[in-house]
Amino acid sequence: MRKKNQRGHAMIELAVSAGVMVACLAGTVQFGYTFYIYNELVTAVGNGGRYAAMRTYRAAGQSDIEKGKVAIRNIVAFGDSRPAPDAVPQVANLKREQVRVDWIMDESGKPSAVNVSIVDYTVDAAFGMFRFTGKPAVEYPFVGRFAPAESEP
Amino acid sequence: MRVRQKGFVLIAMSVAMTLMLAVMGLAFDFGRIYIARNEAQVFTDAAAMAAASKMDGTDEGLNRARQAVAKLPMRWNLGTKAFTGVMVEFSPDKQSWARVTAPDNQVEITFLRAVGGPAVFTVPAHSVAAARPVRLVE
Repeated sequence: MRKKNQRGHAMIELAVSAGVMVACLAGTVQFGYTFYIYNELVTAVGNGGRYAAMRTYRAAGQSDIEKGKVAIRNIVAFGDSRPAPDAVPQVANLKREQVRVDWIMDESGKPSAVNVSIVDYTVDAAFGMFRFTGKPAVEYPFVGRFAPAESEP
Repeated sequence: MRVRQKGFVLIAMSVAMTLMLAVMGLAFDFGRIYIARNEAQVFTDAAAMAAASKMDGTDEGLNRARQAVAKLPMRWNLGTKAFTGVMVEFSPDKQSWARVTAPDNQVEITFLRAVGGPAVFTVPAHSVAAARPVRLVE
């Protein structure tokens, strides 16, 4: 009788402690992976911001500005302004479309700074999802050459 | 025998919990520390470039450089906290380089405290930028 009773105790103890342990492990994996991805995004966005800040701003037409933005998005997503069609993103599943580039213009219509951020990116961390939008973000001053009459090659 | 068995679960659980907290601390707290470090570095990189781009050899230029650094909207701690105590230093000739230091980014430790870690961990960052870049990306 006593033996049987004790075995039941062990079962309950196992159930309770396993529940806590599994929850802790799941949380560790989820947050650990999410933080890792966030850190990679911070690095990617920082590199993109630096590239944008030093890149020649060509503004002959709207399409040239857009081409410049695509090059900046490519730097963030692939680490390359003209990636190969089969290029692998630097951060898991990051798409070029999830990178937002906003130019900040001064009164004279020259770019004074550039804001690069991540929008609508979801981290799938096995036990849960986190969605980043507007974060991480960087703002770099524009220090490149302003070429209002030039077209993108 | 029965007397000795009674305490076993308690001991096993306390050892396991300590190890668990250490593992959680490594993943959670170190994750946050590395992010804060990276955010601070990206901020000082941008701030040094902003400061250097405003320098022109005059005191007025240095003031504009300080304002440019103060105006940067970047934050740390997963993009939630403003940088405090940011120092901007300039080359003596007021036109060669600027150095920005963000010395005061204290990450609050959550789990590692339970296994003997510190309450806060400071992750400073600094960057230097030249006022006249020698090469621009095309």
